[in-house]
Amino acid sequence: MRILLVEDEHEIQSFLKQALTEAGYQVCLAPDGKSAEGLAVTHSYDILIVDLGLPDQDGISLILRLRQMGVVAPVLILSARRSVDDRVRGLEQGGDDYLTKPFALAELLARLRNLLKRNAPAATEATRLRVMDLELDLLRREASRSGHRLQLTPQEFVLLEYLCRNAGRVVTRSMILEKVWGMRIQPDTNVVDVHIYRLRGKVDGQGQQPLIRTLRGVGYVINER
Amino acid sequence: MSSTNAKPAMRSAAWRISLWATLAFAAGTMVVFFVLDRVVATDIHRRVDAWLSGEVEVLADVAERTPNDALYNRVVGEVAELAAHEVPNRLPSDDSDENRSSFPNNSVFFLQSGADGSLKLWVGPGEGRSYASAVLASRIVVDRPTDIQVPGSRTPFRVASVPIKDGSRVYLGLSERDQLRVLRNLRTRFFLLWLSLVLLGFAIVFLTSRRMLSHVRRISEAATHIGHSDLGTRVPTSNRNDEIAHLALTLNGMLDRIESSMHQLHTITDSLAHDLRSPLTAIRGKLESSLSGTREGEQSDAIVSAIEELDRLTDFLNKSLDVAEAQADALRLTRTEIDLDELLRAMVELYEPSMTERGLKVSLVSHGPIWITGDAGLLHRMTANLFDNELRHLPSESSLTIRLETLENAARLTVEDKGPGFDEQILPSLFQRRIRGKHSTGHGLGLAFIDAVVRAHGGTITASNAEGGGACIVIVLPAHQPDHGRTLAAAAV
Repeated sequence: MRILLVEDEHEIQSFLKQALTEAGYQVCLAPDGKSAEGLAVTHSYDILIVDLGLPDQDGISLILRLRQMGVVAPVLILSARRSVDDRVRGLEQGGDDYLTKPFALAELLARLRNLLKRNAPAATEATRLRVMDLELDLLRREASRSGHRLQLTPQEFVLLEYLCRNAGRVVTRSMILEKVWGMRIQPDTNVVDVHIYRLRGKVDGQGQQPLIRTLRGVGYVINER
Repeated sequence: MSSTNAKPAMRSAAWRISLWATLAFAAGTMVVFFVLDRVVATDIHRRVDAWLSGEVEVLADVAERTPNDALYNRVVGEVAELAAHEVPNRLPSDDSDENRSSFPNNSVFFLQSGADGSLKLWVGPGEGRSYASAVLASRIVVDRPTDIQVPGSRTPFRVASVPIKDGSRVYLGLSERDQLRVLRNLRTRFFLLWLSLVLLGFAIVFLTSRRMLSHVRRISEAATHIGHSDLGTRVPTSNRNDEIAHLALTLNGMLDRIESSMHQLHTITDSLAHDLRSPLTAIRGKLESSLSGTREGEQSDAIVSAIEELDRLTDFLNKSLDVAEAQADALRLTRTEIDLDELLRAMVELYEPSMTERGLKVSLVSHGPIWITGDAGLLHRMTANLFDNELRHLPSESSLTIRLETLENAARLTVEDKGPGFDEQILPSLFQRRIRGKHSTGHGLGLAFIDAVVRAHGGTITASNAEGGGACIVIVLPAHQPDHGRTLAAAAV
């Protein structure tokens, strides 16, 4: 997977490149719009990460120009601005995504995966999810562990489903809030943690091997240890 | 436009303007017509007097010269009759055949009195006795025609007299009936003319001022709309060069300046946000990278708490800038239709486990969807702030009630708790920045932010302490356009 990273801040460039490389992507760097245009035309990329505040031009103009030049790869927009521009919303509807700075790496990776998945040919939607001995029936909205049915509320099921769909990958609190509750908020209190705590009580209870792990400072992950 | 039809015309400014203008116009034209009437009446009198004086001289001359014999009466009578046919101001109707031979329509008489006051000669309608006694009873100044009221006639007679050498007197009388009729006709025409002028004037003034004021109304409607939505639109202008066009231009100029200073404010906050967020992003990214390399332990603890502090700092930065923009009424909203009921249910669902864990009892009282137009992201953050606030400040075993009600064109959200209530000292300035209660652990932006979001949505917020103890926050948000909202609500059901 090849990524073109268009970002002018050196500090952000370096840690992003490191993190993306560690996640298994091949990263190309472009510090401004002009070099990005050149690279995008001569090379083929699976995904583009574009910062809105470039030194030579506006990130959105760059994206629109690249689209005109025939670049079809999805774009993840990074914005340090406060409000989300209407034009960004337009791009979002066109299949691209945006992330406001500062962000958690886990969230960046999750959004990249989503964008790539959207572009990939649609796989047949699974009706069952399995993480070790935890099984989710997505049609009947039922979950069971080692054959025992778990008594989950509808909301808890959605939360568990989200974790299981991302099994082995870290999800942050704000990702959970956005995907499970549909809110882009940052609560001052530990509301998400309490939900996870409750869910964990039902999934990992009775001396079973814990599945839901907390990664401090980052988020949660459900996986086999 | 629909507001004009709903509003009665009697209450419009155009109505008042035309009413006063018409009153002034009516009074003015009334004075003009009155003066005209006076001039005409004086002229008619003058002409009548001139005729009377002239004719009475002639008659006196004839009476003097004619020998006082059997033919005297006939000669003088004929002359008097001839004179009567040249009466001024005669109306055409008086020329009927029956009046042609005698004195026309009883309007003229001739009278000669002897020196002793006896009736010497009478040419006129009827016997003449009553006329003679009335004329002789009044003292007529020589050579000046005088008004005399004769019994049996409704209108007075204008009478001129001349003495003759033999001691008798010659009187010539002309009924004022015809003059009065002429004047009456004139007045009727004047009145009709005046009335149509006034009505026409009223109609013209009313229509013109209504047209002009409708432009003013369009301007004010547009201005109201601009206040509630974007600053990009302008009030309608016309190419006429009048005061209203100037008003529109001035308003647009003012809007240009407001928009430009708003734009400046946004540029400042945006660049401030950008300048702070870029290093925050780099720091956070580096901390996260180094975290993945370390094992659990003291070092990772430090990194984790640094990341958490950083996230709090970011949140504080966002809120500060939001509050700053909102206090300048410059918060940017992306408006959509939102069901407050659904929003609150989701939020209560999200917070309920945390509340339960703290031993708080939360209940939501709501009766179905309530649609408003607002920024979903901001409203989510506002509600989260409200709930965070309760979660942080309520002692355990307290209860919290969230009530959502529909008011006329508004939605009311009441958050009431059975906690210790607000600190009385800070209650008046609760929604200002950096105001914190004595035991608060927050950064003092939560309520200021809530206030900012409510204001940006055109709503109001009040905070008070309930009598039985406990804090109460009431938020009123304007509802979505009623007609539209109803269809949406119906669709939601």
